[in-house]
Amino acid sequence: MLQRVVRQRTRVASGIAVAALILAGCAGNDEGSSSTDDICESADGDGPKIGLAFDVGGIGDQSFNDSAYAGLEQVVTDLDGSCTDVEAADGEDDAAREERLRQLADADHTIIIAVGFIYGAAVYNVAPDYPDINFGIIDGAPPEGVDLLTNVANIGFAANQGSFLVGAAAALTTQSDNVGFVGGLNIPLIQDFEMGFEAGVKEINPDIEIQSEYLSQDDAAEGFESPTNGETAATGMFDNGADVVFHAAGKSGLGVFDAAVAAGEGMWAIGVDSDQYLTASAEQKPHILTSMLKRVDTGVIEYVTGVADAVEAGGEAPNGFVTYDLSSDGVGYATSGDFLSQEIIDQLEDLKQQIIDGEIKVPTAF
Amino acid sequence: MSTVVAAPQSTAPPASGRRRTRLWVSVWLLVGLLALATARVVADADDIDSTGTLRAGLVLAMPIALAGLGGLWSERAGVVNIGLEGMMILGTLGAGYYTYHFGVWVGLLGAIAFGAIGGVLHAVATIVFGVDHIVSGVAINIIAAGAAAFLAEVFFSGLEGGGPTQSPSLPEPPSFDVPVLAEASSDLAEKGWFLLSDAGSVVAALTNNMSVFTLLAFAALAGSGWLLWRTAFGLRLRSCGESPSSAETLGVNVYRYKFLAVTVSGMLAGFAGCYLAVVASSGYANGQTNGRGFIGLAAMIFGNWRPGGLLAGSLLFGYTDAARLRSGGESVHALLLILAVGLLLLAVWQVRRGHRTSAIVAIVAAVVVAVWFALTDAIPGDFTQMTPYVTTLLVLSLASQRLRMPAADGLRYRRGEAG
Repeated sequence: MLQRVVRQRTRVASGIAVAALILAGCAGNDEGSSSTDDICESADGDGPKIGLAFDVGGIGDQSFNDSAYAGLEQVVTDLDGSCTDVEAADGEDDAAREERLRQLADADHTIIIAVGFIYGAAVYNVAPDYPDINFGIIDGAPPEGVDLLTNVANIGFAANQGSFLVGAAAALTTQSDNVGFVGGLNIPLIQDFEMGFEAGVKEINPDIEIQSEYLSQDDAAEGFESPTNGETAATGMFDNGADVVFHAAGKSGLGVFDAAVAAGEGMWAIGVDSDQYLTASAEQKPHILTSMLKRVDTGVIEYVTGVADAVEAGGEAPNGFVTYDLSSDGVGYATSGDFLSQEIIDQLEDLKQQIIDGEIKVPTAF
Repeated sequence: MSTVVAAPQSTAPPASGRRRTRLWVSVWLLVGLLALATARVVADADDIDSTGTLRAGLVLAMPIALAGLGGLWSERAGVVNIGLEGMMILGTLGAGYYTYHFGVWVGLLGAIAFGAIGGVLHAVATIVFGVDHIVSGVAINIIAAGAAAFLAEVFFSGLEGGGPTQSPSLPEPPSFDVPVLAEASSDLAEKGWFLLSDAGSVVAALTNNMSVFTLLAFAALAGSGWLLWRTAFGLRLRSCGESPSSAETLGVNVYRYKFLAVTVSGMLAGFAGCYLAVVASSGYANGQTNGRGFIGLAAMIFGNWRPGGLLAGSLLFGYTDAARLRSGGESVHALLLILAVGLLLLAVWQVRRGHRTSAIVAIVAAVVVAVWFALTDAIPGDFTQMTPYVTTLLVLSLASQRLRMPAADGLRYRRGEAG
């Protein structure tokens, strides 16, 4: 008898639980529809048919993926093409990525762009089976021991050059002659940011102390998706005397901004990839000195345009390593917030020109 | 450092065993502090026990301690709760949604309610339907991760500063400084005096910028200790985890107690998620628990299914995590010195107990660690990252001989089945 009572009660309880979830879902629905007008739902031109495979995070990460999407949106409109974009799942493996790429390929897309270095192995497995399709990997590189393919382009960005400039900006801003760098994963892709940053700081003043910390060696979730870790590391740097901290740590970087806010006035953080001042919260904004821009959108636009031109003219599509640097505006720095004085901007522009002219060689991790 | 706080308060005169435990806790605290102070001075690693490191350690430890406390409630009533991770994920989501719309306090309640949903689910599956506890727990982890990813997209897409995988920045719960003590201890901590400044650091970490949520977490730990070990209710609940059929013969409604315990377990895991999203971080993000629920479970085992013990385990993990995230190479390098000395003491102890082989192993390990310490200035990142896990594993393996789980933990219970 009592057991039946327990059962009845649990039935009621689980009913309430389900109802709560449904209600919560409905409540959220009213306001969540503004950013879902996907260009790929409406575009149906006769131009190139582009497939875009997102990295974990997908549209709305306010960084990497959004930037790729912005490029896609522009290029599809410009070339009157059509497109399909697909999201990735948390913690999936190479087989799942491969399957996603094969689906895009089998659906007759002529250009397929995979967003993120994590697609490297998958693309190099799939591409040989589809020699007529051009594949681009943002931040890509062939897996160890695999040769380059003529239909795969590894789209890279000279992150070291952009980081050099924000490093110089940090050195020109610091009052304590102490700056910091927070990296997500200790891999060459991120070390490239650190090396550029360090060189930029030293270019201005070799005596400035640079604190450097990586959030993780091999766990992408701990490295790129943990604001908690970012905040802990950056708070340590501010405690130890830094007054400008640059991050290359994806979402973990939001914690770096929070650390700057907590550290108080005159404490700066430098954003990465996109102009993070624009997406930061109101209390973070006064602390975001600048952002190192990695123009993934430019990369997508340039690559797709390059392939389209090649197809039309019968030439060879971009392949191998394609790097966008300061000279092609593939990287740069942001001035939103007007925290960089005209004097500093002039100096940065001067340095930028010297890098483009080859007078300054920025060290790289590759 | 603050294990004492979690010790159950009692109005009755403490038994001699309890007094001895308190004595041991103080001795261990002093030894730990002395070790840190020595390592700080010898290895010249100022950040090893700076106020900032200790505070960061406290913040990183609390979600783990709360999840572990959730596990304690459940397992003390005989239900293994491996679904803590999932309930914590639900907690982060609830905190994200309700804090954004209704503020910090409703956010906390929302997180607890979401966690409770996970707890009720686990209770229905394991207690009413007799599903294997591990199977149900794993299922909850998978369901929670999926549901959270889906609902996050529904909740946060298109909000200013939010996206399908993350909430906008959330307001932080109020925090406060303890008057006089906060400033005095901070001043002392900055003097750099041996031991005194280190003690000042500990006090400063506990009195400066203290989040109300941290206080609530301590209250939950102390309250659970009191409720489970000092009241008739607690005795009945624990009896369900030790010998449910005996409890049944004495008229305890075992189903009801188990159900309640597992639900509370989910609520605490929800609180843990809330703390993680709102205090330790600045909003909800997909995957932000990243295994902390499981670490909470490990902390609970480490703490021998007691609130004080699990707090100690969580603090150990939180502290080492903070130390490696802040000046990682340097601080962990200094910790090597403590490890070497600790191993040496272990060797001496093993010799006195007549265990020659383990003594030799300990001495060799001590020498290797000491040489490593002497020959380097900093530890490479690959090793600093492992510090929290290695430390926990080391202490756990040294302490595991004395652990005892509730006797009927994880067993299926059916009314009237006992002889």
